[in-house]
Amino acid sequence: MAAEIVVGGRRHGVGGVVDMHYVALIGQHEHDVEVIELSPARYAVVIGERRFEVDARAITESTLSLLIGDDAYDVEIEDRADGPSSLLVRGQVAKVEVLDLRKMRLRRAHDSVAGEDGPITITSPMPGKVVAVLVQEGDAVKAGQGLLVVEAMKMENELKAPRDGVVRELTAREGVPVDGGKALCVIE
Amino acid sequence: MFSSKQKFKRVLIANRGEIAVRVARTLREMGISPVAVFSEVDRIAPHVRAADLAFPIGPAPAPESYLCTDKILEVAKRAKVDAIHPGYGFLSENAAFAEAVAAAGIAFIGPSPHAMRVMGSKTSARDAVKAAGVPYVPGSEGALVSEEDAKTLAARIGYPVMLKAAAGGGGKGMRLVHSAAEIGSAYRSARSEARNAFGDDTVYMEKAILNPHHVEIQVFGGPDGKAVWLGERECSMQRRHQKVIEETPSPILTEDLRRRMGEVACRAAEAVSYVGAGTIEFLVDDQRNFYFLEMNTRLQVEHPVTELCCGVDLVEAQVRVAAGEPLPWQQHQITRSGHAIEARLYAEDPDQGFIPSPGFINELILPQGPGVRVDCGVASGFEVPRYYDPMIAKIAVWAPNREHAIHKLHRALSDTAVKGITTNTAFLRRLLMSDAFMSGDYHTGSIAEIMAQTPAALSSQVQDVAVIAKVIQTYLRDSRNVRGRADSDTAARGGGGNRSWRTPSWRWGGG
Repeated sequence: MAAEIVVGGRRHGVGGVVDMHYVALIGQHEHDVEVIELSPARYAVVIGERRFEVDARAITESTLSLLIGDDAYDVEIEDRADGPSSLLVRGQVAKVEVLDLRKMRLRRAHDSVAGEDGPITITSPMPGKVVAVLVQEGDAVKAGQGLLVVEAMKMENELKAPRDGVVRELTAREGVPVDGGKALCVIE
Repeated sequence: MFSSKQKFKRVLIANRGEIAVRVARTLREMGISPVAVFSEVDRIAPHVRAADLAFPIGPAPAPESYLCTDKILEVAKRAKVDAIHPGYGFLSENAAFAEAVAAAGIAFIGPSPHAMRVMGSKTSARDAVKAAGVPYVPGSEGALVSEEDAKTLAARIGYPVMLKAAAGGGGKGMRLVHSAAEIGSAYRSARSEARNAFGDDTVYMEKAILNPHHVEIQVFGGPDGKAVWLGERECSMQRRHQKVIEETPSPILTEDLRRRMGEVACRAAEAVSYVGAGTIEFLVDDQRNFYFLEMNTRLQVEHPVTELCCGVDLVEAQVRVAAGEPLPWQQHQITRSGHAIEARLYAEDPDQGFIPSPGFINELILPQGPGVRVDCGVASGFEVPRYYDPMIAKIAVWAPNREHAIHKLHRALSDTAVKGITTNTAFLRRLLMSDAFMSGDYHTGSIAEIMAQTPAALSSQVQDVAVIAKVIQTYLRDSRNVRGRADSDTAARGGGGNRSWRTPSWRWGGG
């Protein structure tokens, strides 16, 4: 796969060429990525300083066929409502999250506010049923202490306190079905 | 192969998911009409779509539907079925259900209620096979009566030994003892722990088999009480007693050991006059001693690997024997060739402690090609319910040898994508390529060892391609949103160019 070094820095959209900037998160790395649409289905993708010429065809919304130079890649993308997508590339799975600059700024602002001491919302990791509530509103809890038990597909999963704190906004009730991502309580 | 004159015209499958689909396929090939039952969340499940008749049997929770003997019998009578196939799980090993089916004048495709009862209890199963000379894990015949008794017995069966609370469960009252120096205190503490946990300080002893291999023999009993065996399945790739990958032949058996285990397994089945498909599970220690663990009186999840290597259809044989026909094969006609491996696809997230991941499947991409078999209970547009087992499909392969089979399964799993929910496909590929699996000498503790190792880092090439693909997908979405209105007329006419794609029309359910 050929990668060119961009000498002249970034190009910006001129003369109808669309140019978008993103931030890609993969593993512990954060890359500035630029996409330039050269002609229909042909793109230049610049990851940091490396430039790739890509012929990309969307087979469906989540299946892409890429030609990068002569290298052919069929990529299956499994998106999540929130967080990174899983991309299947030649039998390996990479988790990538792509944010546009607006989302990136929002996230950074949020991270600096929430910090270490901010309230943490405990959500149901999957659709299921609350089978046990182990704490009460106002209880002081230690990191790692069990808060609730959610059951799905014959398996019980205990949700634990991510850090020391006090239980607030406890909405979970025993025997009640919950959707994935539903807020169950807050640790303050 | 199939005669057009079948005794059974119509058979009800009292199950759901991949096994119900698999049974329906064979029934149809035999010219028998498959009948499905379904709960409220399974109306569009593949097993319903595979049937000629389908009946709702109640709410999603299994005790209110798939486990309801009376509802299933009512459907069976209404549909005038000749027989019921129970699949695995649910009512498949419920002797009372088998009796109720027979009492209704319908054939039960499985063993006799008597055989199910005897093999269903650990103690009666052990007594039955012991009389037939089947080796089982040595230990105390009953409760240990004293510390001295424990010492004497441990010396006789050899260390390490395991002390277990008779009323036990959850590891309470269990002690692994490595030497005579530890046995006294271990016996006392096991008893007091058992007393505190269960109010009963009865403790018994078994020889401890550390990191055993789990090898099982497929048996098939005929109406004359004679059983044949169809090779073994190596099932040691387990996570918390849940099998993940199975293969045949087992890489650790010699031809001689295989034959001895097969003959012993037939004796165990014949001890209860077993009729139909069954499985004798053995533990095999590192000295290659084998011990009876239990008998499963049903078709096993992992039966496809046996079918692939023996060239048989076990469901067809089950149906024929239940219809009163003799066994389709004699022992000398059963030959095995090549190597088969099966991987179980679970709707679970290995990166988050294997929590179940039910939900809507946007798109399901399954592998194809020579030697690849897929038994699948879900489909695109189906919401995997949270009420049932998280196993959604089995991918099995056959190849002339083990190494080829491993690479074929790896390729097949690399061609598999389940979009919308998280599955264990990447984890399966990792297990397959692990040194332990490749070497063939893995045991029931191997998955824990593999998980403790740091996974191989992704190549920088894969990382780059993934970033490029995700960014281009995001770019296409963003530009579609911006130009959405302008493009919508074009898209409606089936155009849309390279930049946009048509919204899949099958996503009615949302998700």
